[in-house]
Amino acid sequence: MDYFLQQLLNALAFGAEYSLVALGLAVVFSIMGLVNFAHGEIIAVSAYTVLFAVALGLQSPLLAILLAVVAAGVVAIAFERVAFRPVRNAPVTTGLLTAFGVSIVVQNLFVLFVSPKPQAVSILNGINQIWFVGPLAISALQVMELVVAAVTIVALVLFLNKSTLGLAMRAASRDFATVRLMGVKANRVIAAAFAISGTLAGIAAVFIIARRGSVTPDMGFSLVLKAFVACVIGGFGSLAGAAAGGMLLGFIEVGLLVALPQEYGGLRDTFTYLLIIALLVYRPEGLLGRKVELGDKEI
Amino acid sequence: MATEAPAAVRQQARTPSGSGRSLARATLGGIVIALPVLVLAAVILWFAPTYYVRLATVALVNLIIVVGLQTFMGNSNTAHLGHSAFVAIGAYAVAILATPLNMKKLSIPDAPFGLSHVVLDPVVAGAVALLVVGVLAAVTGRIIARLSGIAATIVSLAFLIVTHSTILNWTDLFKGNQGFFGIPRVVDIYWMLAFATLSIVAARIFKDSKYGLQLRASAQSPQAAAAFGVNAKGLRFGAWILSGLICGLAGILYAYFVGTISPRVFYFHQVMMTLAMLILGGMGTVTGAVTGVIALSVLLEFIRGIESGVTVAGIQLPQVLGLSGVALGAVIVLSMAFRPDGIAGRYELDEQIARLFSRRPPASDPSTATVEASRELL
Repeated sequence: MDYFLQQLLNALAFGAEYSLVALGLAVVFSIMGLVNFAHGEIIAVSAYTVLFAVALGLQSPLLAILLAVVAAGVVAIAFERVAFRPVRNAPVTTGLLTAFGVSIVVQNLFVLFVSPKPQAVSILNGINQIWFVGPLAISALQVMELVVAAVTIVALVLFLNKSTLGLAMRAASRDFATVRLMGVKANRVIAAAFAISGTLAGIAAVFIIARRGSVTPDMGFSLVLKAFVACVIGGFGSLAGAAAGGMLLGFIEVGLLVALPQEYGGLRDTFTYLLIIALLVYRPEGLLGRKVELGDKEI
Repeated sequence: MATEAPAAVRQQARTPSGSGRSLARATLGGIVIALPVLVLAAVILWFAPTYYVRLATVALVNLIIVVGLQTFMGNSNTAHLGHSAFVAIGAYAVAILATPLNMKKLSIPDAPFGLSHVVLDPVVAGAVALLVVGVLAAVTGRIIARLSGIAATIVSLAFLIVTHSTILNWTDLFKGNQGFFGIPRVVDIYWMLAFATLSIVAARIFKDSKYGLQLRASAQSPQAAAAFGVNAKGLRFGAWILSGLICGLAGILYAYFVGTISPRVFYFHQVMMTLAMLILGGMGTVTGAVTGVIALSVLLEFIRGIESGVTVAGIQLPQVLGLSGVALGAVIVLSMAFRPDGIAGRYELDEQIARLFSRRPPASDPSTATVEASRELL
């Protein structure tokens, strides 16, 4: 029973992290159709900012958390301004490849100016504790991750449903042209989308730094691939789909970890992706995606 | 928007109809595109030291990969990030099948299916490897063809990761992270040139064929193409298999050329590099694939020189790792922002030459072109 609870918490925590990152991807995609491969690098920039701040004498973990989240939001907006605005109205493939290029550039800038090797960041290690609740040993980090992700998602839903800007964003995901006709600035809506996406990535980055205690140039990339997979499972562009897909992916991974014998542990990724591909054979539009026939009206 | 024929159809409309003549024309076009490669290779063979011959041979491997990538990506306009998986499968298939028995006793003594006791002639092994690639391409292609653009891209990436992690972790068969050595080195630059030319011509014939035209039309306007009765899924499936086979061929040739392979060669670095080459040259045309490979191979060689630390005015500069990566990413971003059609643009080399010499105005009347194109499509 302990073991089961432990693994359940594991799955929930993994799922929460994937959901956060996948939501960041989905927010941007739903509004401007950009498949943001550079999302992982937002996480990396946020983590490296903390690394630099610590090197410059930052000591408070709370400030480090704040810095990570703010840096992620700022860098997301900067990516949009510098790299993605020139290809805003281009076909999806163009935007996707641009983002892929940005991701490669940023990763290699860290290799070039910092190091290809992992750099230790221990400022947030304090969060990574074990709580003992009766007979159970619970990772505080995992509980916090789950709670913070839940709070963040609720806040995002409230923002999208209650605020004017949120309303404009939801409308823009349906029909951007009409939103602009209503007098809403396109740049503002898109900047807001990137700020939200970056903030979500920053929150994920805090937990990643706390768990790993180190940063590497490609730390965001593999995570973002998983988040993409989560988006595809859930139905690309659907926010609820991204969150659900992230959770499902967490459960699949932990499930495989439990089910696979030790010597096949290295093949976990293989089985994860194979399962997902199999899922897509039966539901090509994803779990919560809408089946679109050619010529359907965009509603 | 729907009333105007897609540009690909308009452009095609000027070629003479009749499958025999267009086949000959496409073949000739392919040879024209391959000519600069052959000339460059000849210059390198005659004048440059052996080191450059080796570099040129590796560049030819990249050329075949990029041509294979173009076959799917250029015609279906879907980003494909998993093509290196086919390169890896081709390379590892010949490594397992053609490596001499005494070498296999050292490297993979416990291979499943009795493969450690099998050794095939390199040509037969190559053919079997292509068959393996073809079967895997058919399996994955069934899925890819069903998915829409972005999901297809993500699944192609997932396929790359699955392949890589299988090769890395199934050590009994693939030897894992360590290099797989002892593959017979039977391919030299002449063979590579021959197969590169063959790939270019094959890609060009496919692009100019009825199927390539229909696929490009369906990529530009799915609705209009579907209204013509174009079977987009089937065409994507076919293009995926052809693309996989060409990439697999590149892997086979690479393994036969270097003799030692390891999984990380066929991973993200190769994907990024070949993708940057195709984008820089222009993914719409086979000419673009060739142009991009030539331009970026030269650029990367310069950068590699700087990366390993150069001596400027007597001062030894330190190693700067990551510079080539920054350059590759920058090439992709800048091409996409300023010249999404790439260096080569929308026309193949032979078409550009023909346009140069033709006295006709370059663009024919769209309305008549549409009629011609619709005839040709049906």
